[in-house]
Amino acid sequence: MGDTFMATAVSDRLRKPRRRASQREYTLTIVLFLLPLFALLAVFIIWPIISSFQLSLTKWNGITTAREFIGFANWLQLLRDPVFWKALANNILIVVLSLVFQLPIGMALAVLLDKGGKRLRVFKTIYFFPLLMSSVASGILFKYVYDPTFGLVSSFLRGVGLGSLVRNWLGDPQVVLFSVLAVICWEYIPFYMILFLAAMTGIPEELHEAAVIDGATENQYFWRITLPLLYGTIRVAAALSLIGSLKYFDLIWVMTEGGPTRATELMATYMVKEAFQAFHMGYGSTIASAMFVIIMVIALVVLRITRRKEA
Amino acid sequence: MRSKRTVAVILALVTLLSACAPVATPAPQAAGPTVAPAAQPTQAPQAAKPGEKKITFWHIGSDEGSQKLIQDSVDRFIAANPDVQVEVVPLQNDPFKTKLKVAMGAGDPPCIFPSWSGGPLYEYVKAGQVVDLTEWMNKDNYKNHFVDAAINQATFDSKIWGVPVENTAVALIFYNRQIFDKLGLKPPQTYDELLDIVKKLKDAGIAPFALANKTKWPGSMYYMYLVDRLGGPDVFRKAATRTGGSFEDPVFVEAGKRLQDLVKAGAFAEGYNGLDFDTGQSRMLQYSGKAAMELMGTWNIGVFKGDNIDYYNNNMGFFPFPALKDGKGDPSDVVGTIGDNFYSISTKCKYPQEAFALIKYLIDDQAVAERGKAGLIPPVKGFMTDDPVLKQVISIVENAKNVQLWYDQYLPPDLGEIHKDTSQALFGLTMTPEEAAKQMEAGAKKAFGK
Repeated sequence: MGDTFMATAVSDRLRKPRRRASQREYTLTIVLFLLPLFALLAVFIIWPIISSFQLSLTKWNGITTAREFIGFANWLQLLRDPVFWKALANNILIVVLSLVFQLPIGMALAVLLDKGGKRLRVFKTIYFFPLLMSSVASGILFKYVYDPTFGLVSSFLRGVGLGSLVRNWLGDPQVVLFSVLAVICWEYIPFYMILFLAAMTGIPEELHEAAVIDGATENQYFWRITLPLLYGTIRVAAALSLIGSLKYFDLIWVMTEGGPTRATELMATYMVKEAFQAFHMGYGSTIASAMFVIIMVIALVVLRITRRKEA
Repeated sequence: MRSKRTVAVILALVTLLSACAPVATPAPQAAGPTVAPAAQPTQAPQAAKPGEKKITFWHIGSDEGSQKLIQDSVDRFIAANPDVQVEVVPLQNDPFKTKLKVAMGAGDPPCIFPSWSGGPLYEYVKAGQVVDLTEWMNKDNYKNHFVDAAINQATFDSKIWGVPVENTAVALIFYNRQIFDKLGLKPPQTYDELLDIVKKLKDAGIAPFALANKTKWPGSMYYMYLVDRLGGPDVFRKAATRTGGSFEDPVFVEAGKRLQDLVKAGAFAEGYNGLDFDTGQSRMLQYSGKAAMELMGTWNIGVFKGDNIDYYNNNMGFFPFPALKDGKGDPSDVVGTIGDNFYSISTKCKYPQEAFALIKYLIDDQAVAERGKAGLIPPVKGFMTDDPVLKQVISIVENAKNVQLWYDQYLPPDLGEIHKDTSQALFGLTMTPEEAAKQMEAGAKKAFGK
């Protein structure tokens, strides 16, 4: 025993000097590996964000080389801009409706596929298709589907005698946002389905067996055991949905361009219109910067509130 | 642990450094705005070896036919000028508008680019991004090759900034001859007759007008014609040039009222504000016989021909927008453009002379003949064609005392957007004509400063 003690003491001492020299190497290696990533991040994300804030302080039409510095005038205009607030309200509406529909339905499908096992494996692929399609292609497809005269939806309703329910799906300002939202849900539910399904397969089967032995019903198992165990995943899903809805652009742009008459205007579509169509690059940058701040704040707040100490 | 902290600090510094370096310095004041942003890409100096002059040429002929027309001209230019390389980039309409703005802003625009003349081109002219072509156009009186109205569209501050090339396109009411024959209808001479036709079509269960107004410009054609027929071209001109007119002039309000009357009479097929012209939703209504008419530019002739040759041969007809008895406008006037696409040269182009020579090939005699065969009407004097359809259009244009350029192409871009937004709102009955006029006038004051 005395010998081993001596041996470890000696080898410890031999190890120490090597650790000090290699610590520098170690640090250097880490830095070098991460450098390319950070360079990319800096060039494509951090600098554009800083640049947008700078541009928001200017009046610029996007094509001259000179930009006129006007301080916070754009920001003041933004605060008083009814179109921006309507856009923000539309974004919030999308946030709420996405959380209410996309996550629960995604969860339901995940439970279904989890229980169904091998027999329902093919549905995993089928349900995943909407997410795989290009948003632009889906948008154009659904424009035809929603055509009041020829589209699938209207024709189907008339065919089953519910013709009175037919609306001007994409032209009526009262209905249009919900029409597009339906397509957004169709596109993103598969994402949450896969997310939850993956998390569910991480729950050991023994837990289920034990619960059944103790007399739990499937219902109780889901609400009292599965759901709480998925809390972390649900939190992530909610955060992703929140952020995605606040910066949403694709389908709205393709299907309505924010219209008709601003009924589906979002912060992102308003930004594109101001910056690239109206030649107001300075104001467009203000909208972009405001979006950044709003989304950052809301996301951080939500993540903070939903934080739970890891067991 | 110390190594973790060191790593974090080093990375933070690197990130900050990359962010600080290419920061653009804002221009000091409106008085002397010529501070170039530091982030301007410098072009590598090019040695002028033979065969090494390079010209970039963007155009928006996205269908095969248009691409071929342009490529033919380019090929003939290259054959005659072997020392010049031409990079041709065909782009789609709306993406092109964005791409050009970004390229201009970044200081890297193409040598030759198209525009629809009017306000948007003038924005680029004011920004010093367009080459003044007056001298070259006057040489050998080249500008006399073109219809005067076309040259006027590209003239600002008494200088010529673009060459009219593509097409003469005016808005006419296309109608389905077979439906009209079946119901015993004839093309109307007056607006009242048109309203009567609208009623008869509705009674027969056919939508009078197909309208795809998601992109807002198709609907604005109705508004522009109503203004023109009610008050003549001077009302708009005075308001748009701020020479004693106003967008709140009673003519604009009355035009809005008539437009909404038309909407309330059910003249437009259902869903109009949500249908997309580019994906053919208004054409579908006409091909299927569910709608009988559409007010659209004469490029539609080529579209029908390519889309549905049966409809083109057996059904397609058109007549000019009818006269308003109580209006001051001349019923021969049309709304449209002489030239459609104009080609300009950017000031950043290294070889403007060669670029201008290339543009000349786009509209030389052979190109003019090819365009005529393709169903286009090049804006050149004395253009002849055997096509009876095109002959009809040419005679309508030649008889017009005035060609009113589309408002959204004439006005500065942001005012053009307000015009499109307000006219779409008029169609949707979500805005009163007075409110629409007020917004246009307020926008004009802001855009022009007076």
